[in-house]
Amino acid sequence: MSFVDLTNQTASQSASYADSHAAVSPPVFELRDLSVFYSAFRAVRDVNITIERNQITAFIGPSGCGKTTVLRSLNRMNDLIEGARVDGDVLYHGIDIYGPDVSPTVVRRHIGMVFQKPNPFPKSIFENVAFGPRVNGVKKKADLEAIVERSLQGAALWDEVKDRLHTSGLGLSGGQQQRLCIARAIAVEPEVILMDEPCSALDPIATARVEELMQEIKSSYTIVIVTHNMQQAARTSDRTAFFTAEINPDSDRRTGILVEFDDTKKVFSNPSDERTENYVTGRFG
Amino acid sequence: MIEDHRSPLHHGLDDLQAKIIRLAWTTGEVVTRSTNALLLSDLFEAQLIIDADDDTDLLSVEIEELCFELLVLQSPLARDLRLVVASMKINSDLERAADLMVNIAKATRRLHGTVIPPKLRGQIRLMGDEAAKLLRFSIDAYARQDGALGAAVRDIDDTLDRLHREFVSAIFESHAATDLGLQVAVQLALIGRFYERVGDHAVNVGEWAEFVADGHRPEHRGAVRAREKQRLAQAALDPMNTDAANNE
Repeated sequence: MSFVDLTNQTASQSASYADSHAAVSPPVFELRDLSVFYSAFRAVRDVNITIERNQITAFIGPSGCGKTTVLRSLNRMNDLIEGARVDGDVLYHGIDIYGPDVSPTVVRRHIGMVFQKPNPFPKSIFENVAFGPRVNGVKKKADLEAIVERSLQGAALWDEVKDRLHTSGLGLSGGQQQRLCIARAIAVEPEVILMDEPCSALDPIATARVEELMQEIKSSYTIVIVTHNMQQAARTSDRTAFFTAEINPDSDRRTGILVEFDDTKKVFSNPSDERTENYVTGRFG
Repeated sequence: MIEDHRSPLHHGLDDLQAKIIRLAWTTGEVVTRSTNALLLSDLFEAQLIIDADDDTDLLSVEIEELCFELLVLQSPLARDLRLVVASMKINSDLERAADLMVNIAKATRRLHGTVIPPKLRGQIRLMGDEAAKLLRFSIDAYARQDGALGAAVRDIDDTLDRLHREFVSAIFESHAATDLGLQVAVQLALIGRFYERVGDHAVNVGEWAEFVADGHRPEHRGAVRAREKQRLAQAALDPMNTDAANNE
């Protein structure tokens, strides 16, 4: 499956696209002047970010700064909200995912998501992981079993659940449930995994396990994570984007803006922007 | 308005800065006092300086503990983190500088009853003043987070280095021309060296002050050379490296 094949083009079309771009492969994501609106309200404006392959990118910032909104715009999750629309470009391997021919379902197959609260389906562990591949047309039991094992191993959960694959996913601990959700996300072989505060409901041990997992899988995936925990962003990510909220002069609504996007080490040791400096040192203005 | 949401951290950092400044001030004072004790051959003052070094050591240990505590409990970041890391390094430099001055107080005892030639006495005075000045500049740079001043200490230190060289030549001359004994000559050469080292510690403090101010660490030539050597060795091992292949 080619990751540029967002519109169910024929294989030869996407192959020719890949060939023509082989010399300079475009980044995984390129956000150009992205604004996201909820009806008339502009939640975030003018975001420019480039996300490279096999990197972990962290979005940090105070509540209401638009980081989750931007994350959700990367796989068209905001489409599910009435009145939500984007302005500017979200280019995925050079292709505008909001283009007229692009199917949101296909986008989400390439770009998986893990949510703040573990949300396994009320089904068995096996079925949780097999669900996506089954929807994508995998029918043979042996194939599904192979995918389930590979995905659970990828999410570092296999050894803990291999003897109870057919018990409910809801019977697992919180940390295990979150890793089950990661297994479910990687079962459909996405290229990108979006994580929206994936550890905020987990204890430190489960958090450490998920962070370790992120490092293990980053050679195969590109990860974007929203986190309120600055230490987590510092520990896990290669690049960090700091967002903040500006109060609109004409109303008291706040619009999110991207302040700084740089190497994580730079952001936490010597940020360029004073607003980043104030935020990471706990002096909020 | 900026609200401070991490006041325990920031109070701790204020305390840390105050302690470092106190240590620097004490060290600067010891430079002047040791120089005076030496030139006046004041054994009583020399003993006071030697005894007071325990208090300096305690202050330095307290600073170390405070840095560690702030790192463990407060996870400082950005400028706050740079301040803690730099303070740990500055702490060592100041503590070492104070020890070197205690060595001069000890030398005062050894040189008691010896007549130091006037030219050498004048040079000791100049080196003492210069070392104290360098310490003052470097800690000013730290206290005011003034990166330019921190970097300037490196250049200003050239004067002390020159004084040190001239002092050593003058010792040789005195030794050859007068009855300045070998033992005394060696003792004086060491004293010159102690001042010169204090200048180097002040340069380090200035560089760390520069790091706090703007995150910049000056590159040290030796480290740059070693890094380049490592890079070349790595490149030579890489079969895909065309540069290495071309060099062969």
